[in-house]
Amino acid sequence: MTLQPEDFWSFYEWLVRPNAFLESALLQGIVLAVLAILLGLIGGYIYSAARYGPSEGFYAVARVVRDLVRFDLPGTSMRRVLALARLAFKEAIRRKVLFVVGLFVVGLLLAGWYLNPESDDPARLYISFVLTATNYLILALALFISAFSLPADIKSKTIYTIVTKPVRPTEIILGRMLGFVAVGTMMLLPMGVASLIFVTRGLRHTHLEVADVRELSNGRLEGETDYLRGHKHAFSIDPDSDGLGVTEMVRGHRHLVTRNGDGTFSIGQATGALRARIPSYGEVQFYDRQGNKKDAGIDVGNEKVQEGYGSAGLSRLVGLTKGPRRAEHGYVEGGTLGVAEFMFSNVTKDRYPNSIPLDMSIRAYRSFKGDIVTGIRGSITMKHPTKPISSNPIAFIVDEYTVDEKELPLESQGTDGNETRIVNVFDDLVDENGNLMIQIRCLDRSQYLGVTKSGVYLRPGENSFAWNLTKAYLSIWLQMTMVIAFGVMFSTFLSGPVAMVATAVCVILGFSAEQVYDTRHFIDSNIERGGGPIESVVRILKQDAMTTQLDVDALTGKVIKTVDAGIVYALDAIATALPNLPKMVSTAEYAASGFDIFGALLARHAAATLGYCIIAFLVSYFFLKSREIAA
Amino acid sequence: MNRTSALNRKLVYLVILLVMVVPLYMLGQPSGGAGDSSGGGQLSEMRDKFNIAESDLGEISPASETMKLASLGLRGVAATLLWNKAHHYKVLHEWDRLKAVLNNIALLQPHFDKVWEHQAHNLAYNVSTEFDDYRQRYEMVRDGTEFLTKGVRQNRNAPRLIWYTGWFYGNKMGMSDEKRQFRKLFADDEVLHDSLMNQGIAVDSQEALGPDSKPDNWLVGRLWLFHGYDMVDAGVKIRRQTPLNFFETGPKWAIKHAEAIEEEGILDENAQDAWRVASDGWTTFGERSIPTTSPFTIKLGELDELMRLKSLRIEEFKKLVGESAENLVAESDFMAVAKTTDPKIRLRAIELAGEIDDLEKRRNKTEGYRKQINYTYWDTLSTAEQEARTVEARRLIYEAEKANEAAELDNAIELYEKAFAIWAEIFDDYPILTVDDSADDLVQSIRRYSIAIDSEELPEGFPLSAFVEMKSGYGDVSYEVYEEIRKTQKEKAENRKKELEEEERERERKAAEEMEREKKAKAEEKANDEKKKDMKEEKQPSADDKKSDDKKSDDKKSDDEKSDEKKSDEKKSDDEESDADLDEKKPSEEKTDKPKEEEPKGADTAPESNKASAEPEKDSELNGDE
Repeated sequence: MTLQPEDFWSFYEWLVRPNAFLESALLQGIVLAVLAILLGLIGGYIYSAARYGPSEGFYAVARVVRDLVRFDLPGTSMRRVLALARLAFKEAIRRKVLFVVGLFVVGLLLAGWYLNPESDDPARLYISFVLTATNYLILALALFISAFSLPADIKSKTIYTIVTKPVRPTEIILGRMLGFVAVGTMMLLPMGVASLIFVTRGLRHTHLEVADVRELSNGRLEGETDYLRGHKHAFSIDPDSDGLGVTEMVRGHRHLVTRNGDGTFSIGQATGALRARIPSYGEVQFYDRQGNKKDAGIDVGNEKVQEGYGSAGLSRLVGLTKGPRRAEHGYVEGGTLGVAEFMFSNVTKDRYPNSIPLDMSIRAYRSFKGDIVTGIRGSITMKHPTKPISSNPIAFIVDEYTVDEKELPLESQGTDGNETRIVNVFDDLVDENGNLMIQIRCLDRSQYLGVTKSGVYLRPGENSFAWNLTKAYLSIWLQMTMVIAFGVMFSTFLSGPVAMVATAVCVILGFSAEQVYDTRHFIDSNIERGGGPIESVVRILKQDAMTTQLDVDALTGKVIKTVDAGIVYALDAIATALPNLPKMVSTAEYAASGFDIFGALLARHAAATLGYCIIAFLVSYFFLKSREIAA
Repeated sequence: MNRTSALNRKLVYLVILLVMVVPLYMLGQPSGGAGDSSGGGQLSEMRDKFNIAESDLGEISPASETMKLASLGLRGVAATLLWNKAHHYKVLHEWDRLKAVLNNIALLQPHFDKVWEHQAHNLAYNVSTEFDDYRQRYEMVRDGTEFLTKGVRQNRNAPRLIWYTGWFYGNKMGMSDEKRQFRKLFADDEVLHDSLMNQGIAVDSQEALGPDSKPDNWLVGRLWLFHGYDMVDAGVKIRRQTPLNFFETGPKWAIKHAEAIEEEGILDENAQDAWRVASDGWTTFGERSIPTTSPFTIKLGELDELMRLKSLRIEEFKKLVGESAENLVAESDFMAVAKTTDPKIRLRAIELAGEIDDLEKRRNKTEGYRKQINYTYWDTLSTAEQEARTVEARRLIYEAEKANEAAELDNAIELYEKAFAIWAEIFDDYPILTVDDSADDLVQSIRRYSIAIDSEELPEGFPLSAFVEMKSGYGDVSYEVYEEIRKTQKEKAENRKKELEEEERERERKAAEEMEREKKAKAEEKANDEKKKDMKEEKQPSADDKKSDDKKSDDKKSDDEKSDEKKSDEKKSDDEESDADLDEKKPSEEKTDKPKEEEPKGADTAPESNKASAEPEKDSELNGDE
């Protein structure tokens, strides 16, 4: 899992973006709220004006605003909201939405056909499957239950039995939203439990027998397990361990091996496949071959993905920030002064009592064939941030596409600039602010090692997987809440199916926001990449490649491009206004890759959800009120 | 609207529904499932007729069917999205997910064999190289190959997939940079062996085992290919591939196997055996009927037979038509000639002319196809490599290289020299071998040798000097040289014995030549005259041989460089031999009169083609014999 710069932001950084307020979420929220209110007022006025005439219309709108502030908001009673929520809940249950849970279970039953337990990282595959399946199912469900309820009530006029009671529109809206959220929550719970069972059971396996066990001269036993699910483990049992041993880590898990009294071996369940590492990331600084500081490492020319526009917020929409923002692997050249330097903070004895666990996901790049048998070698050096004290380099051979877990000793041979001696991490290498520098070098000349900021981190602890999965589900819950809010909002002024389509469009546009930004970027920078929607259709019909110039006459081309630009800019504005759903879905990636989901990330998502819910609530209120007026 | 009209409307709907059910029933009724092809609707009958029922195409996969159903008719759209996703994951280096997506694509389109092929290649060739650890690379190559094998299981009528699987086992595991490691990993990969056994590839049979009694990737690839050949022989059509290419690979893999084990240092009877098998395989391949772009099939090994038949027919034709038509026949338009013949014999003549035409077409095709795959080269190679001599030469080089690496220079030099001498012999007998990979390796060995003897210049009388000259002098021309060698290659092989005798004489001639030159310097012409008389009898046969040799090399193209090379060679060998062969030379001086006169001409006017191309080989042979 390669994290992007925005993933590291704390909640505060995300909210206000120090030094780059234009990119901040707060600004985006404020602009969105102001726009929503303005548009609501204007729209409401036009609507009322058409109905009652210009001046009367103005008063109508003003009355609504006054009602909201003076009566409805302060007068909203939690009791009535809950009563309405219960109604909505019952109604949803009566519409047999629980069926979706059954669907999910059936999905899980069939999933075994499509998930390969022999894959290199089955845990990741299983977890991302259950989370994505839950996510999409729940979003679809939220779409259905929220969009149809109000319009159906209005159509069947059952709404009058409610509005004639002393309830306020705010209560109707909140009641609906809460009721549906409750339904969703009730369904998420069993789905979560089913997922947990599915994943743990899916990864559960044990090897039945051992092979090639031999006793070494010192009494140590070495052997291998049998081949199952595309892997086997080597294991060893030390003579003084009471016949207990552990296998090597393969595909992210180990087994306990016990030697029984009668000389047979029994192998335990797979352990350690489901994890939630808590990473402590550092700041990375690259140096080139001459030892000069560089912003980024060497680019070895891997193909890149055009992503990460979204993190620039409004700044991108108004055209101040351009282009994709994606952290790729930066490479350091071997056998030169090139180095990747990580500065870790908060390195204390309490957090790392026994050793410094360092996890690395590093890539290797060869500029020539070199030694095929031995992999590319690198070294890790612990260094004092300012003083010339450092440990001796610890050599390693790069292990790609896994998390290579190292344990750095607290005491080791090192140098303080004058002499070699034993250096202690906390006494000699960590500075007074608790910072420790770790340098990664490549040892092979003209070969390269690639790192990202998220690829090298200290691991002060682990969380339980179940809790991590819960956090991933929390993220799904937040998305569901958001979709319900949107659904209810649209259903206050659109008929059921149309409201559903509108909500679906919002969800889909939210998911494809990056593609829209990408298209706009190419239009802005005059790069031929197929253009906007009309141009694309023309190209498809003419069977033209997307990088060629549009092959139509000048005037037509101009018209197409102008119209396209208009469409794309409009889409861009809408997509920017919509919640960043892919980002929220991507929390699943954390759980799947075995990383603890950052609290800051969840807090960000929660804040965004709350913001959108408030906006949706206000808009809904206005529309419901205007309908009431109409009625 | 009243009740009656509503009822009527409903009845009309019902009738329409029923009417529509009839064709649906006729089209779509499933067959009884009793196993016989009778019964069932039109579609089911057509499925049987064209053998495209799911169960006829390959293994039935319920997962695949579910996936197809679940896509609700949007299979194409789903597949497109998945392809896009697959590419995305590839860019992100998410290999595990890439594989998962590929599995899903294959579930959606299990009978689209290009998909299997493309994505298997993607894994085995493109993704595998992204890893640094060769073991991980191997895993990925294996994953790609297994993916392809799955495609084979699900497509019973796709010989190309089988061919491609065989290609992977050979080409990817046996020819990449890490071939040594791959081959070893494969030989020890028992899990894969088991799955191959399940697939019906007998990896435990003698045919699949290498010299270490473990399955060899080339031989296993060959088994796969032969599995495909069996399928084609049973009547399945080859699609998206030329039959020549399809059938060539299997026999070639046996050759590659032999090459591979030799490269790994197996230089004993095992290697010879492997070459024998390879040679037999190649010969069998020559006997296989291969469909061509023309309406007839050919056999690559039948070229001689075709030529013989053709000349027989031409003889007969000439006899029939008579000498008068000789000129016309020379234009080789036999049909035109036949049509103008006497009506009495015209029918027979036209028949013969037709046969000649047909034979000519076949010969032409055969020759063209042989050229396409370099048939003669592989044939010669597998013949040459069976000889104990060749294996010995390779063993010597191998040991010399080892000694050189271990810095045992004297030992290395000695081994090198022994090996070079044998190589010189081999090249003389099979000149075609001077332009292949192992010849390139030999150039490297020569380079290391020259480092070992610490001299840029190769020593006087270096056995492979002609070879070195050709390799270093004209890399670009080598193909033409090769073409030229190829023409004469066969005769040369046949004439080998003759040549050896001839060379014996050549050596004497040279010695004499040298002697004469010395004599000239000393102006001792008297002695020469006497010896001339003595050796008159010996001179005669030598001149004859020379003539035949000249004739043979007439069609060779000459190049200036070659004659230069020859000069230098000669000078070298002359100097070296002058002492050793002094006794021999004296008596034979006389016979060298004629060649001696030519000698300066050859040196001054470069394009003395005959000698130019014929002699350097002799020189090297001469030295090689020492």
